[in-house]
Amino acid sequence: MTVLEKESAIRPDALGIDGLTLGIGSGASAVPLLDGVTVRVGRGETVGLVGESGSGKSLTARAALGMFPRGARATGAVTVAGVDVLAAGRAALRDLRRTRASMIFQDPRAAINPVRRVGDYLTEGLRARGVPSREAAATALELLEQVGIRDPRGALRRHPHEFSGGMLQRVVIAGALSTEPDVLLADEPTTALDVTTQAEVIALLKEMQRTRGTGMLFVTHDLDLAAAICDRVYVMYAGRIVEEAAGTALFSAPAHPYTKALLEASPPVHGDRTEIKAIKGRPRSLAEAPSGCAFRDRCPLAGDDCAASVPATRAHGTSAVACVRPEEVAR
Amino acid sequence: MTARTLAPWIGKRALGAVLTVLVASVLIYGALRLVPGDPVLAVTSGRRLTPDQITALRHAYGLDKGFAQGYLAWIGDALQLNLGRSLTYQTSVTSLIGSRLGVSGLLIAYSAVLAIAVGAGVALVSAVKGGLADRIATVAASLTTATPPFVAAIVLLSVFAVGLGWFPSTGAGSGLTDRLWHLTLPAVAMAIAAFGVLARVGNAAFADELGREHVTAARSRGVDGAALIRRHVVRNALGPLLTVIGVLVASLFVGTAVIETAFGLDGVGSLLVTSVSRRDFPVVQGIALFGVLLFVVVNTLVDLALPFIDPRVTVGGPRR
Repeated sequence: MTVLEKESAIRPDALGIDGLTLGIGSGASAVPLLDGVTVRVGRGETVGLVGESGSGKSLTARAALGMFPRGARATGAVTVAGVDVLAAGRAALRDLRRTRASMIFQDPRAAINPVRRVGDYLTEGLRARGVPSREAAATALELLEQVGIRDPRGALRRHPHEFSGGMLQRVVIAGALSTEPDVLLADEPTTALDVTTQAEVIALLKEMQRTRGTGMLFVTHDLDLAAAICDRVYVMYAGRIVEEAAGTALFSAPAHPYTKALLEASPPVHGDRTEIKAIKGRPRSLAEAPSGCAFRDRCPLAGDDCAASVPATRAHGTSAVACVRPEEVAR
Repeated sequence: MTARTLAPWIGKRALGAVLTVLVASVLIYGALRLVPGDPVLAVTSGRRLTPDQITALRHAYGLDKGFAQGYLAWIGDALQLNLGRSLTYQTSVTSLIGSRLGVSGLLIAYSAVLAIAVGAGVALVSAVKGGLADRIATVAASLTTATPPFVAAIVLLSVFAVGLGWFPSTGAGSGLTDRLWHLTLPAVAMAIAAFGVLARVGNAAFADELGREHVTAARSRGVDGAALIRRHVVRNALGPLLTVIGVLVASLFVGTAVIETAFGLDGVGSLLVTSVSRRDFPVVQGIALFGVLLFVVVNTLVDLALPFIDPRVTVGGPRR
């Protein structure tokens, strides 16, 4: 019986974040960061998390590893493959990070210790888990081959600065997969790479994820990319989820004014050149967002009712949206 | 980095070091010539010398030759470890320095170990813990950096030697244990200022590494505690730390002049002080040359070690 089959008996979600609220400090000086964020990633599913800088995407992804900003208080629930992350102690968190969840960072050059060899990077997690170094090296070699590194044996002995950015991100992906995690947290994994390399790395990620049945939370600010590769997409604004939709539906029928505005603000890859409409104002963090709907000061559809309270998430077509008048949002 | 690229690079470094010593030696030799009037009379004033002695001295220091010729003769002798004879002790300068090197060398090593162990340790704890520990360390480092060694020496002497009587106030002792016991107060006095520098530079280096994304990434992989600090913080901060340590060890040599005098130790530093006051210029020249040599050797060794500590330090100049 394989590990996958054994777990299919219970088969909890790869990642479940439920009503996660995060803030630093207390009382008058408290700074809210996330408010009631709910994100679910099934096994083998690719889920996008989209939003502008400061919307809380990375905070949400890091919460899956139990990595919170210093002094932050979290309420709600975060589970990874059935493990309660918020209740986990130090040792349990360490085990979680070593076995169940792996993160892929934006810039591979910053995410790998520059003075250690690639082989050391790839085997560190395995060795920390008690895998003999010879065995860990064999695993690393196999993974490097799978992610398409030429001369994998030589690569183990080289240092990060001897690789190109794209190759190094492949090394990071190999490292993330070395522990056979239940969920991959990809935090803008291609933003630091050039466009052709991006496509290769995305293809590789999808391929590795598909063959292993790993769940993936794909954090990006690139709506088109998210819609193209994700089964479902969550759109975040100012520390809250404002829309959840299937990748395809997001494009054809955006349900939240913010999603629509984002789509209109990005140049189309195909078809006629249309005017790019910038969203007025600037992105808000949760701490400086207006009362009620956080987007209302930038929203063309906003009315008085938007200020009353934070709109509850409700179904609209195949999507779920936190807006009081999604029917007025037509593409 | 391969042996093929390494060998010429080491050669270049060594050549640079030799050139530095040569330039310094010209200055050291030239200082004697800059003395107004007759150098021998000026530096031996107050001493009764027969005309024969003066002629001998002028000849010995090449003062009867031109500058270039005189320098070449002097440096030629120096290369054969012949730095002339002391005017006071009437023995060869080389053996004079050599006989006192044991005490000074042990003192420098002792105080370097103290400063590095305590300084880097405090730096690491303050960088990792932050908060109150960091603030206490910052104040301690500022205070100790601002304390001149002679003040530290006086305080240590009055408290631990005179007041409590735990340590001797003078002499270097005999036998290793006794000698270490005798050298403890002077070593601490010298280490105090060095500690402050190391604690600050070390703190900055460790804090810098701690804030790097690769440390966060390592944490996200379940690497934590001592392994994280050792493998990803201390290891990466070694380069900047070693560079500072190199300069520090060389400057400890300069510090021996004050400390050895204060604690009545027969080392190279106290020899320098007495030789200056007695205008024993061959000895002063010899010690100055030795100091330059030590400084250059230590820093060249540090330079050579850096590519092994951080592989991005490219051998033979920038390459990226």
